[in-house]
Amino acid sequence: MGGFINYFSSHFVTLGHEFWPLLVGGLATGFIYSMVAIGYTMVYGVLRLINFAHSEVFMSGGFASFFLTKWLVGSGTPSAWQSVLYVVLGVLVGGLAGAAIAAGIERVAYRPLRRRKAPKLAYLISAIGASYFLFNLAAKEFGRINFAMSPPFANHALFTFANAPVQMLDILTLVVGLLMLFGLDRLVSKSKLGRSIRAVAQDAETASLMGVNIDRTIAVTFLLGGFLGGAAGYLFGLKFGVVYTMGFTPALKAFTAAVLGGIGNLRGALIGGLLLGVVESMSVAFVNGAFTDVVSFAVLVLVLLVRPTGILGESLGRAA
Amino acid sequence: MKFLQSPTAKRWGSLIALYAVVTVMTGPPGNQSSPTLGFTSSFTETVSFFGLFPAPRGVFFAGLFALVIGFMWLVRWSRGTKIGQLRTAVTVATLDFYREAAERRFARTGFYLVALVIAIALPHVVTDPFWQQAMVSQIAIYVLLAIGLNVVVGFAGLLDLGFVAFYAIGAYTTAWITGALPAAAPFHHHLNPFWAIPIAIVFVMIAGVLLGLPTLRLRGDYLAIVTLGFGEIVTIFLNNLYTITGGSTGSNQIPHFSIHLGALKYAWGLDPVPYYYLTLGFVVVFLFAFSALEHSRVGRSWVAIREDEIAAESVGINPLKYKVIAFAIGAASAGFAGVITGGQSLFINPTTFTLSFSINILVLVIFGGMGSIIGVVIGSLIIQSLSMYLIHAQPVGFQNSDLYIYLGALLIAMMIFRPAGIWPSKRRRREVANVENGLAPDLGNSSQLRNGEQP
Amino acid sequence: MTAPLFDVQNVTLRFGGVVSLNNVSLHQNPGEILAVIGPNGAGKTSLFNSLTGVYQPQEGSITFNGAKGALSVIGKKPHRVNAAGVARTFQASRMFSAMTAFENVKIGAESHKGIGVLGAMVRGPSTRRHDRETDERTWSLLRFVGLEQQANVLSASLNYGARRRLEIARGLATNPSVLLLDEPAAGTNPAEKIELTTLIRRVRDEMGVSILLIEHDMKLVMSLAERLYVLNFGSVIAEGTPDEIRANPAVVEAYLGSTDTGTTQGAQ
Repeated sequence: MGGFINYFSSHFVTLGHEFWPLLVGGLATGFIYSMVAIGYTMVYGVLRLINFAHSEVFMSGGFASFFLTKWLVGSGTPSAWQSVLYVVLGVLVGGLAGAAIAAGIERVAYRPLRRRKAPKLAYLISAIGASYFLFNLAAKEFGRINFAMSPPFANHALFTFANAPVQMLDILTLVVGLLMLFGLDRLVSKSKLGRSIRAVAQDAETASLMGVNIDRTIAVTFLLGGFLGGAAGYLFGLKFGVVYTMGFTPALKAFTAAVLGGIGNLRGALIGGLLLGVVESMSVAFVNGAFTDVVSFAVLVLVLLVRPTGILGESLGRAA
Repeated sequence: MKFLQSPTAKRWGSLIALYAVVTVMTGPPGNQSSPTLGFTSSFTETVSFFGLFPAPRGVFFAGLFALVIGFMWLVRWSRGTKIGQLRTAVTVATLDFYREAAERRFARTGFYLVALVIAIALPHVVTDPFWQQAMVSQIAIYVLLAIGLNVVVGFAGLLDLGFVAFYAIGAYTTAWITGALPAAAPFHHHLNPFWAIPIAIVFVMIAGVLLGLPTLRLRGDYLAIVTLGFGEIVTIFLNNLYTITGGSTGSNQIPHFSIHLGALKYAWGLDPVPYYYLTLGFVVVFLFAFSALEHSRVGRSWVAIREDEIAAESVGINPLKYKVIAFAIGAASAGFAGVITGGQSLFINPTTFTLSFSINILVLVIFGGMGSIIGVVIGSLIIQSLSMYLIHAQPVGFQNSDLYIYLGALLIAMMIFRPAGIWPSKRRRREVANVENGLAPDLGNSSQLRNGEQP
Repeated sequence: MTAPLFDVQNVTLRFGGVVSLNNVSLHQNPGEILAVIGPNGAGKTSLFNSLTGVYQPQEGSITFNGAKGALSVIGKKPHRVNAAGVARTFQASRMFSAMTAFENVKIGAESHKGIGVLGAMVRGPSTRRHDRETDERTWSLLRFVGLEQQANVLSASLNYGARRRLEIARGLATNPSVLLLDEPAAGTNPAEKIELTTLIRRVRDEMGVSILLIEHDMKLVMSLAERLYVLNFGSVIAEGTPDEIRANPAVVEAYLGSTDTGTTQGAQ
């Protein structure tokens, strides 16, 4: 028993020392999870289904922005203005690629099933097929190694907060994440488009009777979620590089985040992502690196068993 | 702009998209330095038919598509019927005729006997060592696994994406009790792998029940994700608990099977053919057992739960109990397969036991026909033989993971065109038709109507 | 005084802010044909769901005294409640649509038998005997409800009236002490209604199964029920024999609205 307490207390001490760096890092990763979680949560809202292939949306954003950045930066060092431009372009292209792939998945793997009123199981299986098709195709076409992104800016520590160096990249992730999530929230709650999305999420049949074009609304939902997911792929790629398997683990964690915050709930995706990112980051103080995935999985199982509606509760058709 | 929205434009658009996808899918691989090389060379690389008619692949495939479309158009035209979907043509081309014939009892028994004779004679006909090895480790074992997953996915309707974990547990348990793992074997006298069978079955069923009890109450899609996570966790443990599992190197010391029971003495060795017969024996036993199960009260309860869980509960069926039973049976089959693999393979390591493996087995079940034992066997034979052929032939630039491009596309295609599989069970075809025609809402595996939740 | 079949005491059921059942107390005597009526939304189906373990009321108690002993229903899973002797039908017939009529009933007949998984896989003599017995029982139940001609028809293809009767047969197959019927006459034509009334009475008279039914068709209810409860807005507003209920002003008001406001609510 004493050994057990010792183990934990020593790890708590480590946690204490590393608290701020872990927190900042966790928040940054959390934003990435949130951006990807949006895709899951929005699709769940309108279709009541988990878009298993969303991991490949993330991957496409990563690869597209990787090729763009490689072309733009090459091996040079961009000036300050160029850096800003390159980052904006990177986010844009990553997002667009993600949106395109998401829309493509909807068109090919889901829409025919909707036409046939297929049972739910069929969508899941089709999504798995789409996912496997896409990432193995990427492997074949682009190669199987982990590509490091040519840095569009020098990623030095911008400042230190407490004793934690806060890197440019983390700041960038926070800023981009906040902007996009905020923008999406405004879009969904205030615009006509957002209203049709929420209407379809609440009651698709009535919405169509009221004149909402269901097909188009669903396509737009995928596009929006895909854009954020793809942009997240760029941000992730800047830190970790891109590889054809990059979608798998982050997407699973993003899904956990979506469920944690409340599936179907946009703000829940944000909360869930941040929370999961921080919890995961902190757990590094306790367990070996590879086992942090086990921690995330444990969070998922716990949420599903104890409070499946998540922290903010399932709220289909509402922005919050 | 209007034209782009017309049905004709859409149909041509889909056709062109399909053409592009197929050409790229089957084309040469890309290159790390150029993102577009793989795509462009898929169209520009020259292929030739038997050394004649060299042409760029793009042209070749365009011609192929034109031929197929022309043929289908001809079929439609000759029938004089209105334009149907691609789907009708695919259905016409399948084995419906043979299936109807097979439903007659006499024909069925004859068919089985012939199949059994062929299966027994096969190793003497196929003498290529690659293929003999493949027959055991790739085809027979996969058939065993597919039949097992069919109980979980097909009979009980539970999407288990972590199936490979049970296979791994079977294999690693065999290594453990034969003293081939860093972790100490439980018995001083290292056991024959045959004894691994009951022990592995116990372990695997415990794992199945432990996983199932909390998670089988969850909805279908959540269950899929959680089982997927479970599979991944097991892989992480296998890779990282070096002192127990041998980490990424795994184990390479598992002895072969042998029997010493009085007059019955036989030792398996490196020759894959005896292992083939051993696996075939298990397959036959499983086929009988699972077929009986399908037509028993347990099988019917599974159908009831799949169709309408609430109605099933109202007539006294405990959904959780039956789901756990399905899980446990599936796990046990995978455990069996794992033990055989453990005894037969020269080495086992975590790289075999990946999510992709679970997906591969899932494809076999979906392609063959969820819930249809015959379908699953036929489907496994077809897909695994083709996969093995591709791996053996190794076309230029082909990597084994490219297989999954085809399997993934196949899953999508099956769901769109033939969700009940190529050799569907009668019941499953009825069910799919009912849901699609709106005669039955999709209620299986729904969450309980507890206190106001909507299904 | 024998124990009541159902003893419901002060049950309150809430969904979030909505009170579905408000301090409801009722009892059913063994052998009774009891009816629960009331306008739409009064809580009748919620009551059924509470009696069968689908919903868990937050307050009160429900005791079922069946042939196999007493059971406190709240907190028990539906299959457990069914095993104790409570069978039910649903407002919109819930069939196993890909199964034939025969298989639907057989499922009910075999759900409480003790054939294990191993027995199912091996199909020994005792398994086969069980199967034969269940088959016989299924046939007799199909004959009882008049569906033996359609035994091999897919239940999805059956017409409304036949589906109702099939649900009754399936419920009876589980060997219950009481059968809960949720609007059995909904969507049936007058001829079918008469057949249904006869069938329900036969269930009680010939099979000894008590009946608890929800219905909107007043004529049917009044001719069939021996005692009624009237629910409105989740509360019991009246209880008694058909004649007593007919004369009860509170009931008339609940269905037709008071003379001042002249509003109409609910059914019939």
